Amino acid sequence: MTILKRFHAVLVLFCLAIAPPAEAREITAKGKVLDIQSVTSESGITAWLAEDHSLPIIALHFQFRESGAAYDPQDRQGLAQLASNTFDEGAGPYDSQTFQKLLTDNSIDLSFSSSRDVFGGRVKTLTRHKDLAFRLLQLALAEPRFDQDALDRMKAANIARIRSSLTDPDWMAARIANDLAFAGHPYARNAGGTISGLKAITPEDLKNFAATHFARDRLIVSVAGDITPGELKERLDTLFGKLPRKASAPLLADGTVKNGGTVALYKKDIPQTVMTVMQPGFGHLDPDYFAGQVMNFIFGGSGFGSRLMDEIREKRGLTYGIYSGFYELEHLKGFTISASFNNENAAQVLTLMRQEMKKMQTAKVTPEELKAAKSYIIGSLPLTMSSTESICNMLSDIQYNRWPIDFLDKRAALFNAVTAGDVQRAAKRLLQPDNLTTVLVGQPVNVKPTRTIDALPNVE
Amino acid sequence: MRAPSAFLALLLLALPAHAQPAPQAKAPPAAAKAVASRPVEKVFNAETFSLINGMQVVVIPNHRVPVVAQMVWYRVGGADEDRGQSGLAHFVEHLMFKGSEHVPPGEFSTRVKAMGGDDNAFTGQDFTGYHQKVTIEHLPEIMEMEADRMRGLLFPPDAVLSERNVVLEERRERTENDPRGYFGEQMKAMLFVNHPYGNPVGGWFNEVDALTRDNVMAFYKKWYTPNNAILVVSGDITAKELEPLANRTFGTIPARDVPERHWTKVPPMLALPQLVMQRPDIQQPTWQRLYRVPSLRQSRDDALALDVLQEIMDGGAATRLYKALAVDQKLASSIDLDYDPFAWDDGVLWISAVPVEGVSMDTLGKAIDAQLRLLIEKGVTDKEMEEARIRVRDTSVFARDSLMGPAMILGRILVTGGKLEDAEIWPSLIDKVTPAQVQDVAKRFLNPDDFARRPYVTGFMLPAAKPEAAP
Repeated sequence: MTILKRFHAVLVLFCLAIAPPAEAREITAKGKVLDIQSVTSESGITAWLAEDHSLPIIALHFQFRESGAAYDPQDRQGLAQLASNTFDEGAGPYDSQTFQKLLTDNSIDLSFSSSRDVFGGRVKTLTRHKDLAFRLLQLALAEPRFDQDALDRMKAANIARIRSSLTDPDWMAARIANDLAFAGHPYARNAGGTISGLKAITPEDLKNFAATHFARDRLIVSVAGDITPGELKERLDTLFGKLPRKASAPLLADGTVKNGGTVALYKKDIPQTVMTVMQPGFGHLDPDYFAGQVMNFIFGGSGFGSRLMDEIREKRGLTYGIYSGFYELEHLKGFTISASFNNENAAQVLTLMRQEMKKMQTAKVTPEELKAAKSYIIGSLPLTMSSTESICNMLSDIQYNRWPIDFLDKRAALFNAVTAGDVQRAAKRLLQPDNLTTVLVGQPVNVKPTRTIDALPNVE
Repeated sequence: MRAPSAFLALLLLALPAHAQPAPQAKAPPAAAKAVASRPVEKVFNAETFSLINGMQVVVIPNHRVPVVAQMVWYRVGGADEDRGQSGLAHFVEHLMFKGSEHVPPGEFSTRVKAMGGDDNAFTGQDFTGYHQKVTIEHLPEIMEMEADRMRGLLFPPDAVLSERNVVLEERRERTENDPRGYFGEQMKAMLFVNHPYGNPVGGWFNEVDALTRDNVMAFYKKWYTPNNAILVVSGDITAKELEPLANRTFGTIPARDVPERHWTKVPPMLALPQLVMQRPDIQQPTWQRLYRVPSLRQSRDDALALDVLQEIMDGGAATRLYKALAVDQKLASSIDLDYDPFAWDDGVLWISAVPVEGVSMDTLGKAIDAQLRLLIEKGVTDKEMEEARIRVRDTSVFARDSLMGPAMILGRILVTGGKLEDAEIWPSLIDKVTPAQVQDVAKRFLNPDDFARRPYVTGFMLPAAKPEAAP
């Protein structure tokens, strides 16, 4: 998975949690949007469960907060990423190939993943293979082998991924944007790892990673599908019951978006300019958060119909797509805009983008815009509940944000309460046309950079 | 865990051409990998009927949540363009959002959004698809809107011009910003010499740039008819409930004759093509191979055998190619084999591999060829066959766990000339494939030593040669 996709993965995670709209219609017999139970095991492990026996499928997702790539040591960038690639490369009595063959032969979908903030894993299995599926997950968590051979293979694959990304201007723009906008903070590091960092990682590092990050106080578990609360309790104890109470790895300090006003250019011989813009934002605990979501939808978050898309794509044909979005990390809140466009049009797009930002701030959105945004945000919730996996994701997002278990039932009211004045206030706080950290990759015409970037930071 | 190959995405045929919020916009055609890998068992219990004008309707009931996905598939794509007009089918797809009698330009998607729904569209070599997801009470409205743009389009002249710039920007973004885009396009052009599949779906830049309003109007008029379309609806509805709606909307559109497809053929190619792209911005060498193989429409038996072959060669990290090349021989850090059987004309099978540092293209290629020869000479084991069958069967259960997935799979099979019944019983068809059949398709279609009869294209992407090594 490239950095770019990871970049987006963060957005997706948060967009799902926030934008997943709840309509007040009855979906379950109990009159709730989704029937979610909180299940606590004998030893005190809690999981949220959306029980559904309509298909013989079970999905379980878990996450450890404050355990992602941002916690990688400076000279071991890629540790969390490599951990996500190696926890399923052999555990307990099974070497890598035996472990993988058990997964394949029993159609068990088991994998681990890391983002800047979070290390997590997921398993999806047919009910008839559930014992083996949970057993393999338990082994992977408790007794990962990190055999040198498998480790070397995963290092090579990651290094190849990084080298392949070097022709991808979106990846390059994201890399530079992270470096500038998060300067001085561990978030500036390369979440996918550096070539030297990956090479330096030892099995000891990986074991230490698990020992210092995996603990009950950082654990979130979400389950959906064909399993009862009684059975889940037992599974939770087997899977997570032996974890220490508290993680020992220190937490990150809070940071802010840096280098406002910078226009950084990385020259590349391509027909388009790829743009990533970052500015300070706020998070989901902010009182303006829901207004901010509505603002983002109208401004640039919704694709077709958003103001940015209307002005820049629909009216003028200057781009294939332009999008805005919250960029929320645990310890740093940003707001981002991205697009790519013909080099010739770079100056025009940048001007139009700033104009639209100012328009959002100086005038209130129209009642029609407000209504349409709420209508989508609230009404589209059921669309995100059409698979076991997507329901599981939703539970994870709500828990990650520390929202209450009945959040989905309250959500529509939270959005309905947003007024045009709230949206304008959020626009004034979120959009900072004169304080943007702008990264351009390409050969933009008539754009004066304040600095040029010659080498990609934190790649080698 | 295997590192995913970034390459496959670039070789896929379909363009999800209508941009959506960032994550989706970059995604390869959603179901392409899943579809190509494996269709499904009597999973869907789909129902089907036809409207009076010849439009086929397929309903996949799924009552888990009160939502529904509508897809309309047209049997027209990039391969149906006249010579010199590449990109036309894709351009028309974009213009489907620029207004029809009752839906003003640019309003299609915003109306769907106001319903709390999502929509998009895509173009492939053989088909063009339009889809929306909404809660069930909005189904009649999106059916009316979709029927409205089947009945006729406005093609506002200024919107046509401005949208041509958008599709050119799309081409720049998808293909021209990254050498991998150009490379994939050129590999296909080489594999399908003199065949319309050799043109990229997005079109060649200069040809797209020259497309006119008359071109798009004529193309739309020629191909966009109910008798050339398939409606697939998946979700909280039955055929009995859908039929009156379909009659009232799509059913009132008169049928028109649609031309038969007459595509030029790939002539005998006696020289073995090998493409090399060497550039300073490429840091990671990559090895590629494309074969032309039968599609499901051309030969169901061969397609089934190739599907099993794919499962045995690349059905996970513990199957043949990865085990041999990455785990045992340590020559590749990733390797993929993929077969796409859903094409009107020839299907494509591709292999891509990323070498471990220091391994040459030659060494890697020889090791891959050795695996193909082993398959051709020794065949596959009964155990491998059984494992592949189980995986196909299990996958069909997972396929039910989705709203769009089944519509995507059935739509693609039907629009490329496959049969609904085959899709429904795919796992039991797979059960009947014998080891001898798998060996036989390997011998007939993938033999690296038989290129005089079955030409294939091999390609390398390489970093620029070091100055001292330059000739």
